[in-house]
Amino acid sequence: MAQKTDVKQGTLALMVLKTLDVLGPLHGYGIARRIEQISGDLLSVNQGTLYPLLLKLEHEGSIDSDWGASENNRRARYYRLTKVGSRQLQSEVRDWQQTTEIMARFLTAKAEELG
Amino acid sequence: MRALRRLWLRAWNVVSGRSGQQRLREEIEQHIALETADNIRAGMTTAEAHRAARIKFGPVEAIRESYHSEKGLHVMETILQNCIFALRMMRKSPGFTALAAITLALGIGATSAVFSLIQGVLLTPPPYQKPDQLVLVSAVRTDGHKMDSTRGWAAQQWMDWDKNATTLQGVAGYTWTFNFLIRNDGSQSMQGMKISREYLRLMGVKTVTGRLFEDSEYGSGPVKSVVLGYEFWQRVLGGDPQMLGKTIRISRWSSPVTVVGIMEPGVRFLPAPGASKEPNYDVNATVDLWIPVAPDLKEMKSPDWNVVARVRDGVTVQKAQQELTVLTAQQAGSEKTFEGFTPQLQTVSAEMNQEGQKILLPLLGAAALVLLIACGNVSALLLVRGLQRQQEYAIRIAMGMGRGALLRLIMTESLLLALTGGTLGVGLAFGAVTLFKLIAIHAVPRLDAVTAHTAVLGWGFAAAVLAAFIAGTIPALRVLRLDPMEVLKDGGAKGTAGVGERRLLRAVVVLQTSLTLALLVGAGLLIRTMAKIAAAPSGYDTSKILTMSVTEVQNQDQAVWNDFHHRALERVAAIPGVQYAAFAWGVPLTGNNWPATVEIEGQPPAIKESDKIALPLRSVTPDYFKLMGLALLNGRAFRSTDDEKVPRVAVVNKAFAGRFFSGQPVIGRKIWLNGRDKPGMEIVGEIADGRTDDLTRQALPEVYLSFWQAGPFSKHLVIRIAADPSTIVAGVEREVRSVDPSAAIENVKTLEQIRDDSLASRTFVMRLLVGFSIIGSVLTLVGIYGVLSLSVISRRRELAIRAAVGAQQSDLRRLIFNEGIRVIGGGVFFGVVLALISSQVLSAFLYEVRPTDPVTLLVVGLLFLGVGLLACWVPAWRAEKVHPIEALRYS
Repeated sequence: MAQKTDVKQGTLALMVLKTLDVLGPLHGYGIARRIEQISGDLLSVNQGTLYPLLLKLEHEGSIDSDWGASENNRRARYYRLTKVGSRQLQSEVRDWQQTTEIMARFLTAKAEELG
Repeated sequence: MRALRRLWLRAWNVVSGRSGQQRLREEIEQHIALETADNIRAGMTTAEAHRAARIKFGPVEAIRESYHSEKGLHVMETILQNCIFALRMMRKSPGFTALAAITLALGIGATSAVFSLIQGVLLTPPPYQKPDQLVLVSAVRTDGHKMDSTRGWAAQQWMDWDKNATTLQGVAGYTWTFNFLIRNDGSQSMQGMKISREYLRLMGVKTVTGRLFEDSEYGSGPVKSVVLGYEFWQRVLGGDPQMLGKTIRISRWSSPVTVVGIMEPGVRFLPAPGASKEPNYDVNATVDLWIPVAPDLKEMKSPDWNVVARVRDGVTVQKAQQELTVLTAQQAGSEKTFEGFTPQLQTVSAEMNQEGQKILLPLLGAAALVLLIACGNVSALLLVRGLQRQQEYAIRIAMGMGRGALLRLIMTESLLLALTGGTLGVGLAFGAVTLFKLIAIHAVPRLDAVTAHTAVLGWGFAAAVLAAFIAGTIPALRVLRLDPMEVLKDGGAKGTAGVGERRLLRAVVVLQTSLTLALLVGAGLLIRTMAKIAAAPSGYDTSKILTMSVTEVQNQDQAVWNDFHHRALERVAAIPGVQYAAFAWGVPLTGNNWPATVEIEGQPPAIKESDKIALPLRSVTPDYFKLMGLALLNGRAFRSTDDEKVPRVAVVNKAFAGRFFSGQPVIGRKIWLNGRDKPGMEIVGEIADGRTDDLTRQALPEVYLSFWQAGPFSKHLVIRIAADPSTIVAGVEREVRSVDPSAAIENVKTLEQIRDDSLASRTFVMRLLVGFSIIGSVLTLVGIYGVLSLSVISRRRELAIRAAVGAQQSDLRRLIFNEGIRVIGGGVFFGVVLALISSQVLSAFLYEVRPTDPVTLLVVGLLFLGVGLLACWVPAWRAEKVHPIEALRYS
């Protein structure tokens, strides 16, 4: 069943999980940077929603965190995906793929009809 | 499962709250540091890089807020945080906190204390089963005329009601009795109820140990078994568990009686109107002794009984009243001595609460006024403070704090303040109740049962929360329409108040002033009343007179009885310092006399029973009139030879002579107690009038009998002394006991004390009103001062400009004084209106002062105006110190 969530936040959670899945443990700033990079700088991650989201994910058990050293040897909090997180990622990816497929089909079908 | 885990995590986060805060701060710091480093790598200067990172990060406060909403059990944690913050704010300004908390405490303390009196006295039902169904049946004249003294019912009448009234479950008769428990080391008085067979069942009382009476024990012969009151058992017999089955000796009863049971605690007398004329009778006391009696078959028509009845379920008192009226009219038709009287029903609770209500309801009103004044003050204080903190609020809103959250924060502060005030107030209430019990034990009936208990706590706190709501809402609502930009732009100017706010504050202070004025007028009226009473001519001397009730409990033989009293008087009179000693039944202001129907020479014989002349009789030894300072106007006083061997004589007062002989000589006229066919009493003397019944009422006609002829059972020993009365008490007791060791000596009091007791309810109400009005006045003066101070602060710019364009210092002062006078004047005006309405409830306590007494109103109004202006002085002085240069600073 599709959950009624804020789209933006919903996508952000998926992006965070995917980033962690691909790149392994990362700190908050790293996650934000990567998302921005991958989006081709089309997206700007709002920190005001990122940190509470990280916390929410941690509370849900999708991610775990620990203090570690950053590239330039600063103390930073590193987040990594948990098993629960991977499963959640998989199911959400499936949902998204399905949704985009459906959306794509709708959009193309509409275009042909109009044409 | 996930929800559970989340809840657990949240709960854990609340517990480990601080580390979470720390973590967020560190993480934000890290984020900005990393971003800054990246920016530097991208070519910015260090400063630019940091600035860019911060701007990109956005508002920290908002992040924290949404972080918090995720982190903990939201509501609980916010409340906790708000509380901690509020506590910190309270600590930061101890003066404000103390002022506000004490203000609230005074209001709450006063209300709680008065309420606990009301709870104990008025709201605690009598300890009878379904007390609302119980009604007292008293006799009034059918023609509506007022009766000179109270009258009971004949057994034949109430037994007939019991049998025939369909609206009643039952009717019982009872009378009051006064006796002594005889002990060789000084006897103990006992007040008891003689009760008919129906009584205990009707009232639904139980024993704690032993049994109630069996039907066979009710009789008209000598009493064989009694039930003791719980309090008497505890007080006099030390709660001796062996009392059941034991016999005790009681004065005037020839044979000892067996104790068969101990009544449950707290059972008090039912009002017995006639009995109040006996010494020691106290309707509010608990009963010492229960005696089973049945109507004497020979006395079935004597109006000897007080009557209580229980109405049936669902039947109204009016309905029962109608039925009894009809039944009584039928009885009067067949029996001449029943003519002229009709029953009047009143519920037991209404009767018992009559006195208490008269005293406590005005006081509750006064306490509520104090609470209102206190709330007004606290809300004014909070409003002023809210204005001073506008900048802080504006910064909070600018930082991203929601207005709702800010409102909650401010409300938490006032709530916490209120709880502090409430706690203090409840403490104050406990103290006040103890104090009330000390000073008002004679003023308020059944006060002994009052305790400040959990109900008071509950009410105190309820009042506190309400007070917080009232006091906190107005200033808190302000933040809803606060424009942070405006406030911040205004910079250093602290505490600006808009026209609307100043108007609101002025309205609060006008209200406070008018409430205080109403209190002051009430207090003023009672003070004037007390002054009038003090100046009222009593007709006798109250100073340096010692009284005590002395009873010889063993002998019934008149000769032995006379001998005891003669010898006791002789011995007491011989004590150094004693000027006169006398025995008397009917000492002034004790309410103690012998109401009797008499026939007087020259007056037409009464046709109807209800037309008979009923007068209070008194009985005294010869020195009494000299002792009291009651002047002999005509004839002679009593002699010690006026005893049972010579014809009976009487002395009357001037009011008697005036009423029955209208100026004609009274000496030599006759009075009959038992009908004109028997030998009557010759009036041998006429004395001056004394207000012996009530200081606030004109003297009533009185008849004095010779003590040696009347031989009253209960009486006072009255002594006039030159020295301090307390020094001879022990000596008097010793001398009386040397004549008879078993004599009972009780109620040692000076006549001054008796006088004070008789005025106690007035004094109590006056003291409380004075106390309340002092509190109210102080609070109101603080309020006036606060409003004007705020006015000066918020108008500094205006005042400075005025000064710059040439206003004199006196002009500025006048400006502030004008505002003050408007506020105080408005308060005085509304206060006078309010006082005119509210002082009506005091009319029962007033004497020779009308509730609308113009002198009191004028004096109180002027006084308050004058004192109020004093409160204007400091703010006005500050206004005139405003320097024109300040005007420049603002521009």
